[in-house]
Amino acid sequence: MADEARKKEILEKMRNGVIQYDEDACREGANEALEAGLDANEAIFDGLVSGMEEVGRLFEAQEYFVPEILMCADALYAGLDILKPHCKQMDLGVKGSVVIGTVEGDVHDIGKNLVKMMFDVAGFHVYDLGRDVPLDKFVDEQLKTDSELVCLSAMMTTSMVGMPTVIEKIKAKNPNCMIMIGGAPTSKDLADKWGADGYAEDASNALKEAIKMVAFLKKLRDEKAAKQ
Amino acid sequence: MNSRERVLKVFKKEAVDRVPCFSGMGNITETGIKELGYKFAGIHLDAKQMAETAATTYKLFGYECGVVPVDLCVEAEAMGCVINVYPHAEGILYPTIKEKLIHNEAEMDTIKLPEGFSEKGRIPLMREAIGLLKADIGKDVVVGSYVLGPFTLAGQIMELNDLLKLSFKKADKVAKLLDLCADAIILTAKEYEKAGVDFITVREMGATSDVLSPRVFKSLILPPLQKVMKAISAYSVLHICGKTNEIVTSMMEAGPTAISVEQKNDVAESRKKLGPDAIIFGNMDAYNVLVSGSEDVVRQSVRKCIDDGVSGVWPGCDIWPTVPPQNMKAMVEETISYGGKK
Repeated sequence: MADEARKKEILEKMRNGVIQYDEDACREGANEALEAGLDANEAIFDGLVSGMEEVGRLFEAQEYFVPEILMCADALYAGLDILKPHCKQMDLGVKGSVVIGTVEGDVHDIGKNLVKMMFDVAGFHVYDLGRDVPLDKFVDEQLKTDSELVCLSAMMTTSMVGMPTVIEKIKAKNPNCMIMIGGAPTSKDLADKWGADGYAEDASNALKEAIKMVAFLKKLRDEKAAKQ
Repeated sequence: MNSRERVLKVFKKEAVDRVPCFSGMGNITETGIKELGYKFAGIHLDAKQMAETAATTYKLFGYECGVVPVDLCVEAEAMGCVINVYPHAEGILYPTIKEKLIHNEAEMDTIKLPEGFSEKGRIPLMREAIGLLKADIGKDVVVGSYVLGPFTLAGQIMELNDLLKLSFKKADKVAKLLDLCADAIILTAKEYEKAGVDFITVREMGATSDVLSPRVFKSLILPPLQKVMKAISAYSVLHICGKTNEIVTSMMEAGPTAISVEQKNDVAESRKKLGPDAIIFGNMDAYNVLVSGSEDVVRQSVRKCIDDGVSGVWPGCDIWPTVPPQNMKAMVEETISYGGKK
């Protein structure tokens, strides 16, 4: 076990790396964490995710906007890519697999990619179908992978209307599958009306929701650690 | 005064008997498409079908305008992108860009507008559609077209993800690209003017405050927008989606005749900020009210928009084609009965 001061220094480096969208710092921090013998899960949550929590706060406060969030996410991934192979499977009660994509007619995937980040952090197996995904492909992929969760994204009103078709088809074949929708034009009302189980609340590309969910995972983990 | 005269008077800031009910963005309906026996995917590639479909919104519901094009890919296509019109789609899918023009940062410096830009892609088709639309309903209502804003166009020809990050990391490079996009937009707008449009809406949807800070809006988005607005001789409208209360003053600084906002804008607040003379359109929720709401909700929304001070009842985005016909009628009727009271 690394000594506490060194550990703190490394975690701080990753945290600041995410906040200041410094990919190199995150990469260095991640490598140093491994060298110093830090637990990879701990490095992800107390370093990278902790930084993303602060980013979420800056976004809420309108100090950060979408370009900054995208750069922070890149920095987070730079560290995550190094640490993830060393992670133990986390037992947070939220393991599983997810099918995610942007619905046909929509080529925007910023929100989708940020939500995907949350699942990557949580250790989910992610089947990313990309963007402009034909509606039936979501249904086929869910059946093929038996994923517990399907996430549909759309940034434009003109494309979100394909969502109810996907929801209906998946629910008909696999009623236990959970479906979450998100993206600028969607709303809680629409999610309810269309029979989706979840909704990424924020209007600007599910950003806040993704960050919030990552922060929630960290809280779960901390609570679990506190109990032990 | 007829509808056309009314709208033109609004643009000229002259007194009118009531606010008009129209838009500078897409307004075709499935009801109209079905009545003509066309397919949505087909109308993007056929000037006659496009013009006829656009005219049905006036003919069926009394909506006080005719607008083409129907999609957002015209300029990007003319610049060299490949589009997808989803020819086999059963439902309504708007065309998207299949192949981007710029694939990496280095290519941002190398692209140029193709020679003979005005004859590329569907620009000639749009000229024809505008001509047909004018000949059909142009005496009764205004005929409009729209172009993209430079930033939104840049987001069509390269990865939006990269564009957003580079707006921060390499603002100079992005500014140069936006200037080129502005040139493409101006050339397109000039062709629409030649074809006889009464007004042009510039849709800078990607530069909303949901995405970019008001600071970046001023430094990066505003200069090329000003260039575009200055070059348009027809009446012009600047539309931006999402949150815009922080930037309405900057929107006016861009130099359009009018601005258009969507439902996230507090129009009463914008009216206060911009004063009684500013022309402000929009605010009507194009999906949650017009498509999903009851007739009564539509009527309430029309009254609220008018009470808050819009200069025209105008949906905050394209009218979604599956809009129930009774809601279209309710919107127009309510504008006529309530629109003169304020």
